[in-house]
Amino acid sequence: MFVGIVLLLATAEVWAELVVVVNARSGVAAMSRNEVINIFFGRNRQFFNGIEAQPVDLVDSHPDRGRFYSALVGKDLADINAYWSRQVFSGRLQSPPKMRTSEEALKWIVSQPGGIGFIELAKADARVRVVYELQP
Amino acid sequence: MLDAGNISKPGLIHRVFSCLAGALLIGLAQHSLADDAPAFMLQGFGTLGAVRTTSNEVEFVRDLSQPRGASQNWDARVDSILGLQANWRISPQLEAVVQAVSRYRYDRTFTPELSWAYLKYEPSPNLSLRAGRLGTEFFMMADSRLVGYSFLTVRPPGDFFWSLPFYNIDGADAALTVPVGDHLLRGKLFYGISHGQIALAQKQWNIDGSEMAGGYVDYQAGAWLFRASYANLRFKHDLPIEDVLQSYLPQPFAAQAIEHLGTGNTRSHYYSLGAIYDSGPWQLQLMLNHCDQGSNAFESSDAGYVLAGYRIGSVTPFLGYSWASSETRGNTLNPVVAMIMADAHVDQKTSIVGARWDLLRNIALKAQWDGIRGEPTSIFPYRQETAGWSGKMDVFSLTMDFVF
Repeated sequence: MFVGIVLLLATAEVWAELVVVVNARSGVAAMSRNEVINIFFGRNRQFFNGIEAQPVDLVDSHPDRGRFYSALVGKDLADINAYWSRQVFSGRLQSPPKMRTSEEALKWIVSQPGGIGFIELAKADARVRVVYELQP
Repeated sequence: MLDAGNISKPGLIHRVFSCLAGALLIGLAQHSLADDAPAFMLQGFGTLGAVRTTSNEVEFVRDLSQPRGASQNWDARVDSILGLQANWRISPQLEAVVQAVSRYRYDRTFTPELSWAYLKYEPSPNLSLRAGRLGTEFFMMADSRLVGYSFLTVRPPGDFFWSLPFYNIDGADAALTVPVGDHLLRGKLFYGISHGQIALAQKQWNIDGSEMAGGYVDYQAGAWLFRASYANLRFKHDLPIEDVLQSYLPQPFAAQAIEHLGTGNTRSHYYSLGAIYDSGPWQLQLMLNHCDQGSNAFESSDAGYVLAGYRIGSVTPFLGYSWASSETRGNTLNPVVAMIMADAHVDQKTSIVGARWDLLRNIALKAQWDGIRGEPTSIFPYRQETAGWSGKMDVFSLTMDFVF
């Protein structure tokens, strides 16, 4: 029984891991870490099949945002915001829209042909496909 | 020599975009298009800064568009900046942007100026075409020099950027991104007419109408970014030194000197290489440039810097080193001309030590020491130099940078 509880806790941790998901109908299967970075930092705005990538982010106050960028590039949110201020004020890009909850982010991903975002594995449903798992 | 009253063609474009900006701001309120991002956004950035040096023999400026600078007393003009930007997404592929900046400028005021005012059209997601007033990207990060929140140091290393007092052009640019495996190749080309004034002693040098063209190629490989860039500038006007020359030199020599020091119709070339590593707690930058000045009034120069920052919690201490040196020209004709030409000389190295503290969301505090060690002949980067200038001084800077 003790072993059972330990296994259950370990599984619970896995379900709380963050994964990158895309709209299941986008035609995108798996992505490499660099590809994910290029999309979320707005450097590459298209998937390999030509569909425009539409990344969605979370607000700073949502704990998943800090966890995501820390796991993806090892950066603090201040560095991410500094990066976007450079893009915005040199007229290059706007940052991805920021949702207040994971549910809103999921709704966005499903509503855009090239929707891509990050979410806890437990919250991903059949309308999205997992393309990358973040290593903590 | 002061052209403040003329409405040149760039000035007309300026007025058209000012009206556009006014219309955007008055007519539109923030609203959403279904679940998309808002169509209209107002954002801004700024810096409150204070700087002092250990020398009263020169005045330290952020760049050569500033007529006066800091010496042994704390000075809040040099680094304090406020910028406001309005973005209007007209359609998924078309966007209009207007940005105005207020900073200490050539006429000693903080009069706001239009820094960006353009239409952007994206026929495909990785291709961007812009036309209007655009920031110039002669060197990496040159088009975001005023956004303190976006970089590590208090100000972009002066040694690297002294030779670049111009910030924007009225023209067009095109940028294309091409994936190469999971790396990216990016290229940009730009062309336009510069405008503006550069403070020179008590006068202003009008750089309106000078044509600029250039481009760069970037390669993003994971945490590394490499860039090679080239730009070309053909000055339209001469320096406002004609009356100085006429009053100090007898006639045949004055005319000869005016011709010798002419900048109108001369061409300057700017070459640059850069490498940035950005991953985890590390930020490393290396930049090199070479400027080939086509007139006798300016000296060709080489400059560069290295910078390393390492984040520890909410503080990022950094260490940097920059250098700039220019080649003295041989034929100085006579002592008056020689003195004017000596004004263009730079020969110095700077050590930089500081830290950035990300205090709150969207606010950063920075403290920095610059140890400038150069020759007494290195006077190009400064204002109001006296004969007692030793070429060496320390600069202490404190800034608060924010975005909203």
